[in-house]
Amino acid sequence: PERSARVSKVRPPLHQYIRKLLFSDLDKSSVEHVLRQLRKLPWSECEAYILKCFLKVHKGKYSQVNLIAILTAGLSRYHHEFAVAVVDEILEEIRLGLELNDYNMQQRRIAHMRFLGELYNYEHIDSSVIFETLYLIIVFGHGTPEQDVLDPPEDCFRIRMIITLLQTCGQYFDRGSSKRKLDRFLIYFQRYVLSKGPLPLDIEFDIQDMFAELRPNMARYSSSEEVNAALVELEEHERTASSERQS
Amino acid sequence: MKDPLNKTKVVLRHLPPSISEAALRDQIDGRFSGRYKWFSFRPGKNSQKNLRYSRAYIDFQSTEDVIEFAEFFDGHIFVNEKGAQLKALVEYAPSQRVPKVWSKKDGR
Repeated sequence: PERSARVSKVRPPLHQYIRKLLFSDLDKSSVEHVLRQLRKLPWSECEAYILKCFLKVHKGKYSQVNLIAILTAGLSRYHHEFAVAVVDEILEEIRLGLELNDYNMQQRRIAHMRFLGELYNYEHIDSSVIFETLYLIIVFGHGTPEQDVLDPPEDCFRIRMIITLLQTCGQYFDRGSSKRKLDRFLIYFQRYVLSKGPLPLDIEFDIQDMFAELRPNMARYSSSEEVNAALVELEEHERTASSERQS
Repeated sequence: MKDPLNKTKVVLRHLPPSISEAALRDQIDGRFSGRYKWFSFRPGKNSQKNLRYSRAYIDFQSTEDVIEFAEFFDGHIFVNEKGAQLKALVEYAPSQRVPKVWSKKDGR
């Protein structure tokens, strides 16, 4: 059949250059250079396109996601608006991923978790954003009629998301209030995991590895009853603590 | 964690993909003109394969403005040119950061 040849996309030279910098030049040794080159671009013209490319972290190598976080933090001194937009966009992507729960997006969603964790590691976001995201992942859609579509009982993908984020930045929650916040979250996480029933072995091993790395001495609950009792106690404790503060 | 009572940055989600920034600003400014410090519009994408809703991030002057805005726009129905209805959502933005007003000129 007659068919015209596939028309390849022709990108304007500036866009081609941005892509070359981010998708082929960027590596550990060139990150300073790439940052300088980005800063030299006519910013008002390129900002939207650079933002788009930063959000394509899943297209690059997984081991280089941290480099995009370094660039974001580096650009925030000069283009604060851009750096704010990167965070808003990545959080929207994570939220959208939860809303769609599309199998084809899994690789991208994992890269987004890694990127968010790296943004914390390079001090571009606060721990509160990380914890809000962690809690969002374990509760989103629960108790709604769509629960079976958004997070079916046999679907363990959200566990992978949590593990990815905590493997990226969890080691820094080792003191002070962020340590307490992680201790607390991991109990809620255990309740979520137990609600899934028996897990595939690979997931179970990943969870074990994560606990061994972050909280080797933390109790692992073996039943929903146990973890619920622990949470009742925790919430009771938090209530007395907050009422003492108020009085 | 920032007390929810102090949060001033919200995100307006699930806006029609084809809504223009000007049209949205018109609707918002009717009531909220001068009551926000920063506004950022993120256009959506109206393609068959990859539909994206539009969004807007808004940093209000006060928490009372946030509440009034949510009362007005959360669940607000936007109608696109084809007559399809979309229910918008108002939520606190998960990251409360907004751009600093000063912007250092990059000496490069």
